Amino acid sequence: MPLLHIDHLKTYYKTLRGDVKAVDGVTLDVEKGEALGLAGESGCGKTTLALSVIRLLPDNGRIVGGSVFFDSTDITKLDSETYRKEYRWKRMSMVFQGAMNALTPVYRVGDQIAEAILCHEEVEEDEARGRARELLGLVGVDPERASSYPHELSGGMRQRVMIAMALANNPEFIIADEPITALDVIVQAQVLHVINDLRRKLGLTMMLITHDLSVIAETCDGAAIMYAGKLVERGTVIDIFKRPLHPYTQGLVGSFPSIRGARKEMESIPGSPPNLLQPPPGCRFHPRCPHAMDICSREEPPLVEVEPGHLAACWLCEGG
Amino acid sequence: MMEPLLEVRNLRKYFPVRGGFFRSLLSRRQMWVKAVDDVSFHVMPGEIFGLAGESGCGKTTTGKTILKLIEPTAGEVIFDGTEIFNLPPQELKPFRRRMQIIYQDPYESLNPRMNVFDIISEGIDIHELAGSTSEKEELVASALEMVELTPPEEFIFRYPHELSGGQRQRVCIARALVLNPEFIVADEPVSMLDVSIRASILKLMLKWKEESEISYLFITHDLAVARHMCDRIGIMYLGKIVEMGDIDRIIETPRHPYTQALMAAVPVPDPTAERTKVMITGEVPTPIEPPSGCRFHPRCPYAKEICKRETPGLVEVERDHVVACHQLEHSIHL
Repeated sequence: MPLLHIDHLKTYYKTLRGDVKAVDGVTLDVEKGEALGLAGESGCGKTTLALSVIRLLPDNGRIVGGSVFFDSTDITKLDSETYRKEYRWKRMSMVFQGAMNALTPVYRVGDQIAEAILCHEEVEEDEARGRARELLGLVGVDPERASSYPHELSGGMRQRVMIAMALANNPEFIIADEPITALDVIVQAQVLHVINDLRRKLGLTMMLITHDLSVIAETCDGAAIMYAGKLVERGTVIDIFKRPLHPYTQGLVGSFPSIRGARKEMESIPGSPPNLLQPPPGCRFHPRCPHAMDICSREEPPLVEVEPGHLAACWLCEGG
Repeated sequence: MMEPLLEVRNLRKYFPVRGGFFRSLLSRRQMWVKAVDDVSFHVMPGEIFGLAGESGCGKTTTGKTILKLIEPTAGEVIFDGTEIFNLPPQELKPFRRRMQIIYQDPYESLNPRMNVFDIISEGIDIHELAGSTSEKEELVASALEMVELTPPEEFIFRYPHELSGGQRQRVCIARALVLNPEFIVADEPVSMLDVSIRASILKLMLKWKEESEISYLFITHDLAVARHMCDRIGIMYLGKIVEMGDIDRIIETPRHPYTQALMAAVPVPDPTAERTKVMITGEVPTPIEPPSGCRFHPRCPYAKEICKRETPGLVEVERDHVVACHQLEHSIHL
């Protein structure tokens, strides 16, 4: 049984112009101990998927179908109080996108981490503060920095504080949403190093959300590609990078310039992602797909297991 | 010997730091952000010269100062044989047409109250390139075709909010191309765009480099993109170029410890690639009162006494490859 099993999840946002189908029937498993990279372009629903799992959707967003099983419990059915007390931040937590702005500017960072501990455990304030300092040490920030305010820290340090905060209650599962976007290359490498290190030390299961495939190649075991609210491909990183099956994945992998090896022509995908208010019928990628066939504009391709552990949703793959 | 199209000599741009009221009582000393500090390079006709570095290293300021969109503090820019910094505004105007810029963020660099036609034709009006309205329309339409926004009629009366990010950036490129420039400063032209869109915009720029022999100053923080686009590159750190030369030589045999660290930090989109991580610690210090001597010395694993005292100059280590480092021996065996 996988640690996280997302089953036909649908999350829509209510807007004045209709429902935005941000996540539309996604099925995805994350095995215990796995680091799964979830990639896709902006607006493809990857953050919405994460917010549905951690149940922090904005007011106009709601789960309209499907379920999310965490350790065999359907967490979408739990009442919010039980979920808050027993799951969120206790067993699973999240490192938010844009850590620069995710910290409160008016509290010391150590106190912000301690707050997460005090909310979930019956401990003395002093002990919580002490643990906050330990956590800072764990992510490579000088524990003395616990008494700094966020504006006194650099971007990379703030991001590390966010990671420390996510680790506050020893969760089994962490979602990291674009944890290194907006950081400089060298700082990115440092933060990725911290994440990799912690994963090994603490045996974490992780879901890393990013638009940058090379980050997934560097850190993850598995990869999942989303397009316009749908999961289009899932496999190991080797599957995805070496034998991509879905034309979108192929285009995405081909459009990444590499600093190593021979200079090769970059591929581009024509057109732009669809509007999720009225997604195209059939396969959502068909208007941009170089291999589109008749059936693609009529019927939606199912997600099929093409080889063990390697799934794709494309009519080309149907039947091998 | 071909003459460079653009030559930048000892360019400096210092911004004054406005201290608070109390600091001004305590100290009379004026502080400066040395955003660009003694930068020299040249761009040959039809060449793409890259400037790469982390945020705050001064690469954008360099690009803007060259075009005199920011007043330079000191230095010279020679474009096609003429020094342009000392030209009076009227004489500078024809050069403004020949040197264009594409900005980083297409969501902020287009006036939301102007439609595509007005945006692109504004430059035509300013430089009086069209004799009649129909000629102007033709110029705008052909510029849209150049950036593959076809058919032009479909886009010409749209407003920026009706365009996607990639389409907006194409309008920005069309706005530059319509004036038939010889030189374009491209300031991170794809960093705000989605990956699937990036490649097509970069291809478009390469196409116009080939067909119209446009030279670019390509500013980027992404070395993988730089490698794909540039012929030569300069690596900047805290307002100074620390290494410069042929792109392949710099990518394959970087000699400055900073370039090496930068190269090692670039993620490789291949899970089977061998990973060698030269980790350097810390982050870029503030450019207000930067470190003495070599500005990289506090983070450099090879720093010695001399690095704290003396600023290293650029020395040639091989043909078309210059490095500013006191400790070049360390990198010989790599």
